[in-house]
Amino acid sequence: MVNTHYGDLHVLKNVNYRLDQGEIVCLLGGNASGKTTTMKTIMGIVRPTSGSVIYEGEAIEGLATVERVKRGIAPVLEARRLFPRMTVFENLEMGAYTRKKGAEFDQDLDRVYSLFPRVKERRDQVSGTLSGGEQQMVAIGRALMARPRLICMDEPSMGLSPLYVEQTFDIIQEINRQGVSIFMVEQNAAMALLIANRAYVLQTGQVILSGSAAELRENETVREAYLGEMQGGH
Amino acid sequence: MTPFDLLLQQLINGLSLGAMYALLALGFTIVYGILELINFSHFNVFMVGSFIAMGVLHLFGIEGQSVLLHGLPLVGVLLVVLVVTMIACGFLGVIIERFALRPLRGVKGPMAMITTIGVSYILSNVVLLTQGANEKNYPNPIPHWSFYIGGINGARITVFQILIWVISTLLMGGLFWFVQRSRLGKAMRATAQDPDAALMMGVEVNRVIMTAFFMGSALAGAAGLIFSLYYNFTSFGIGFSAGLRAFTAAVLGGIGNIPGAMVGGIIIGLIESLAGQYIAVKWADVIIFSILVLVLICRPAGLFGRLAPTKS
Amino acid sequence: METTTTSPDSTPDPTILDNTPGHENVNALHTVQVATSRWTRLTAPFERPRVQYAVITVVAILALIFPILSGDQANIDAAANATAYATLALGLNIVVGFAGLLDLGYAAFFAIGAYSFGILTSWQITPDWGVFWQPFAYLGLVQKVVQNGHAIVHFTVSFWIMLPVSAFIAAFFGVLFGAPTLRLRGDYLAIVTLGFGEIVPIVARNWTGLTNGAAGLNGIAGAQIGSYHFGINATPYYYVGLGLIAFLIFVSTRLRDGRIGRAWMAIRDDEIAASAMGIHLVRFKLLAFGIGAGFAGMSGTFYVAKLQTATPDMFGFPVSVMILVMVVLGGLGSIWGVVLGAILLQLLQTWFLGSLTQWIDALGTAIGSDYISSLDLTQASELIFGIILVAMMLYRREGLIPAARRQRALTTEQQHASVQRRAASDVRLSQISGERYAHAPGAVPMLEINDVTVRFGGLVALNKINITVPAGSVVAVIGPNGSGKSTLFNTITGLTRAAEGSILFNGAEILGLQPHEILKAGVARTFQNLRLFPTMTVLDNILVGQHARLRSGPIGTVFWGPSNLKEEKVARSWVLEIAEIFGNRLVPRLNHTVEGLSYANRRRVEISRALASRPRILLLDEPTAGMDTSESLELAEQIKGLNALGLTILIIEHKLDVVTRIASKVIVLDHGEKLTEGLPDEVRRNEAVLTAYLGRGAAARA
Repeated sequence: MVNTHYGDLHVLKNVNYRLDQGEIVCLLGGNASGKTTTMKTIMGIVRPTSGSVIYEGEAIEGLATVERVKRGIAPVLEARRLFPRMTVFENLEMGAYTRKKGAEFDQDLDRVYSLFPRVKERRDQVSGTLSGGEQQMVAIGRALMARPRLICMDEPSMGLSPLYVEQTFDIIQEINRQGVSIFMVEQNAAMALLIANRAYVLQTGQVILSGSAAELRENETVREAYLGEMQGGH
Repeated sequence: MTPFDLLLQQLINGLSLGAMYALLALGFTIVYGILELINFSHFNVFMVGSFIAMGVLHLFGIEGQSVLLHGLPLVGVLLVVLVVTMIACGFLGVIIERFALRPLRGVKGPMAMITTIGVSYILSNVVLLTQGANEKNYPNPIPHWSFYIGGINGARITVFQILIWVISTLLMGGLFWFVQRSRLGKAMRATAQDPDAALMMGVEVNRVIMTAFFMGSALAGAAGLIFSLYYNFTSFGIGFSAGLRAFTAAVLGGIGNIPGAMVGGIIIGLIESLAGQYIAVKWADVIIFSILVLVLICRPAGLFGRLAPTKS
Repeated sequence: METTTTSPDSTPDPTILDNTPGHENVNALHTVQVATSRWTRLTAPFERPRVQYAVITVVAILALIFPILSGDQANIDAAANATAYATLALGLNIVVGFAGLLDLGYAAFFAIGAYSFGILTSWQITPDWGVFWQPFAYLGLVQKVVQNGHAIVHFTVSFWIMLPVSAFIAAFFGVLFGAPTLRLRGDYLAIVTLGFGEIVPIVARNWTGLTNGAAGLNGIAGAQIGSYHFGINATPYYYVGLGLIAFLIFVSTRLRDGRIGRAWMAIRDDEIAASAMGIHLVRFKLLAFGIGAGFAGMSGTFYVAKLQTATPDMFGFPVSVMILVMVVLGGLGSIWGVVLGAILLQLLQTWFLGSLTQWIDALGTAIGSDYISSLDLTQASELIFGIILVAMMLYRREGLIPAARRQRALTTEQQHASVQRRAASDVRLSQISGERYAHAPGAVPMLEINDVTVRFGGLVALNKINITVPAGSVVAVIGPNGSGKSTLFNTITGLTRAAEGSILFNGAEILGLQPHEILKAGVARTFQNLRLFPTMTVLDNILVGQHARLRSGPIGTVFWGPSNLKEEKVARSWVLEIAEIFGNRLVPRLNHTVEGLSYANRRRVEISRALASRPRILLLDEPTAGMDTSESLELAEQIKGLNALGLTILIIEHKLDVVTRIASKVIVLDHGEKLTEGLPDEVRRNEAVLTAYLGRGAAARA
């Protein structure tokens, strides 16, 4: 579904990704490897110097971010990035910014509230005062309010306690079962590979490995770089 | 007048001036909140507003302070003048943003601020060249009715002062409603709090910024009209001192903070009229700036502002 | 390696850099030597190409013979005024161009200098005569004058004495105004300076006893040499003005190219990094403010002596803006540029606008438009300022003469040079070794972090952290993103305040110290997201790292005592020595601005910058981020080499192969808590670590 290919950009060098309908695809890599730039390129914040981004059979690399959001691509940003002085409800409203308010909005709101009952409890609280885990729920809820077909997530596990990390990944799987494709940048490789269908390993702007999550879990290079040394005794 | 009446009188005058400064300060604060830009062109959008309003008043055949209107015609004329001035100034602001500032967006350092100083100079000198350097007697159709508090020797409230309060309360209330409740207003707040995240929600940032300039400049136009009706004159040079005080008001209240700008404006207005009464008019600016410096030393983010946490 | 004394003339052609594949190991040392000597000119500070000298000479000669060529008093008068504005532009350039502090009330200092001189030479203040004044009369500073049988004092301080004195008075007020405001964010500073710029003319207008109010000071004595009074003759003032410009250009250039100028530009580029590199922010901002104000004080004296009057209107906001326009037109930070900008604008006003008005009026008459034929553009010089400001900002932000030094492009050979890998044993640094880094076994730990807690609002970023870094060790901190690692570094280096706890460096408390004090004590760091000074060259970036170890003050820098010159030379050779740790990756690029470097090379510059401060402990925040496996391992070797010299290292690192290779102890952070610590092997097997790092599934699998 998404086939990205950039020219000799500073950060990304001739990178190709592919994501099929209904998949969870994970992008692994260290800090400064080009993960966030990838996200920004998909969302249209950064324009590739060459190459194309194809979404549902259509080249979108020239489209503004608004148009991409309207076509069903929604982000969950690194470190949540809620609007700190707006209420939880207003943050959810911002997620649906490109859509008209109406019955669909209420449906989506119900869906978010049923996925995250906590979010409903806190709907009138200013979001800057929420805990990290609660903020992550709002961030995912905010993405869902755009009624997306593809969600791009930048390090959803970052800064969360293990309990919340597990919950977050469960929710991601749940959302995926509801038919939303997920493109996810993660550092928590083991967790990510457990729920992903396929994954890419990015290093200094180049894809050095790609394959099914199961393959990559067994791959020596990945193990060495991200898991292996940790499981050295294994 | 008794000393108490005198104080009351100065409070009334200060509130009127303060309302005007608050309208002007809001324009600084809205733009700053979103772009972190001190917009010096705002000074002279205010001045241009005063001239536009004068032109419209002339179209209605109002010259000097001798043609007075009453009742519905008065309200109608003032309304038309206010709306035309605000719209014209709004567009002036949008034009400035589009052609002078947008190309500089994302450029680090004081570049954009320096540009606004340049635009400010261009505005005031275009008016100077076309309208001349003389102070203009301002057309004012508002009758000189007043109310007295505590008898004919007590403090006086003019009809015009009441009008100022009504107009500024309505405008500020409208702005507050817009920013808090409307879709575009929420987008403005979101952009101010986190521009990148807002962009990714599908907010058209250019539209938000243009709206901010339009609204800020429209309020400056309203302030320009009020200023000139209050003092019965206008000139190409009125932008600087009024603008500087309004800007001080915005900083005092915590720049970027909308209620802060309103309160800051009122405070500056009160200081100006009280200092004028009890100290000396000529020292008013010195007092205003001294208070500004003191406030900033004690609370670097202003009375209601918050400092962004520094990241490293 | 001998690198400092070779004369530039003997440098071999750069193309002989030996990079034949296969030879690199054999020739590694040799190659570096060649490359080094090619760049020895770096170690001779302040060299300028000959062309530049030629241009300067021609300009100087033209300026000197101008009054003879022109002969028209009006033109000479305009030129003399232009010199005054050029000196003002040079002063504002120090504040705005070098230090990046936007001062919108600069004319206030111009006014202070002007009134200082005016009051001390006019009849404005005439106290009664008394014995007290006798010594001053003896020195020629005052005269006893008898008016209507009443003896009074008339101040007659010489222009030549007042030039430096006004500079000091204005500098004093610069520091006075600056002190409370320089802590403010840039935009607030702009508005406060604008406020001061308004207050000073108001005071001048209203304190009539001192200034004669709006009417202005009259009867100010001009300058005189011996018995020759300049009077209203513009020509001698013109030459004095030229002399002032020459002097201030000299001062500006020396300041820019030395320790102080580097500190200012570092502050302008990135305050946080500047402070972490040992620059005392408040002190150096005040210094810029004071020196800039001093320049203005001098020009005020000069200008008023020439005009022989001073009124409050001469120093208002429009004047501040005009000086700003001059600086922007010429180029922020460009010394020759701002002089050119000032002269152009001044001449534009006096000559060009008059002619333009005549042309336009003629045009109006020709096309029969009364309106156009009656336009007077000389009134609207500000219109031209406005247009210049906007046009320059939109189309040529760097000004007429950009400040940025041109970079020499790398030769094809250099671009394609194969990289010299250097092993740990190749790392040698003359200033990091020996006694300073010798550690007795069992001595106090280099760094001892006790119960440190950091909160951001309600969030606990670090919770009662305890870490000990023994002297001479390499300790690694690992943990998921967001676990508090960078916060830990920020707390150690004073960028983030801790709520409680203590941090002992060599047994002394450093918690609560300012970042620059912590660096000076011997703690240097790099940043995860790179905080280099983007407009500065690699060389200057690394030189900034030495800031705290250099002594040169403003006087020494300007007049180049032998010790200052030597210090600068040694500093530059130290940069070379450090850059050579990374083989030929940095050395050929020392004169490039860091913006153009690859990500990995920028990381190397940051490490070099930290090393330049001769730290006792080096804090590296993900030094290998953005590097591929071989580059990471190469860096690991280099870090190992540094450690072998005795340098203690605390490193945040995600790549565990790097960690295992260099660390003697690993600390695992998670959610701001220390999960565990131990040898790399122990940590890898720790259950809790597996869960934190790898999550539930992986832990189950392991």
